Amino acid sequence: MLNDSPKLDRTFQALSDPIRRGMLARLSRGPASVSELAAPLPISLPAVLQHLKALEASGLVASRKAGRVRTVRLEPEVLSAAERWLGEQRSQWEARVDRFEAHLATITKEETE
Amino acid sequence: MTEKFDLSIERTLDAPRDLVWKAWTSPDHIKRWWAPRPYQTPEVEVELKPGGKFFTRMTGPDGFDYSGTACVLEVVPNERIVWTTTMKDGYRPNAFAGDGCDGFPFTAVHTFEDGGDGKTRYTATVMHANAKDRDAHAAMGFDGGWATCADQMAEVARELAVTS
Repeated sequence: MLNDSPKLDRTFQALSDPIRRGMLARLSRGPASVSELAAPLPISLPAVLQHLKALEASGLVASRKAGRVRTVRLEPEVLSAAERWLGEQRSQWEARVDRFEAHLATITKEETE
Repeated sequence: MTEKFDLSIERTLDAPRDLVWKAWTSPDHIKRWWAPRPYQTPEVEVELKPGGKFFTRMTGPDGFDYSGTACVLEVVPNERIVWTTTMKDGYRPNAFAGDGCDGFPFTAVHTFEDGGDGKTRYTATVMHANAKDRDAHAAMGFDGGWATCADQMAEVARELAVTS
């Protein structure tokens, strides 16, 4: 639960990356193969596998290999409702700060031009 | 009080502190980054003084239209701004209908420090009230949030595909 802070740290670390949040978003709609997960992402397959490893370490997702296809699915029971709620708040704030950072990059460029 | 519903975000931003402050506190700037796409923030009001108004209105293509008024508690230019959704401007308490679309109480402390080399160290601490009553809200917010994230990711991927 919430006082299990090493687990929460791993969870929040997993949630702190926009690529990983995108992967979780995809998985929230149902299990997916690694190549399905990688398809919309602007990164290499090895990078996708690294992110997947971080997500598996957090316990947020689990994967199983059948033949040549590795299928990844969300493990929603890992998070209690309160953790999910807090994780959602965090991901929204992280996303907001991502946007703020992108905006700063834009106006910094405008000022130097 | 409980700290377990606090969350803290730290980021080193590649811009000087005065610019970061301006981008964080000027309505014209806030409108450009506050809401996740495809949502927009057509209205923002900020009064930089204790008891001042921090107002945002977000709209979306699906008819989403949400306004929130928070109260500014503390302002140290270029260093620190604290505001809370527990109150409106003038310290008047906010009412929370609890239907999940009416916001929820939190207080946000934002600090800005020199990060050296023209950078700024930004820290946000967001303190929530006890979340135990929010299970239903949680399920809704979780799914909604992830869906928005997925849409944003897809959009970024499309933009990259177009520009590359």
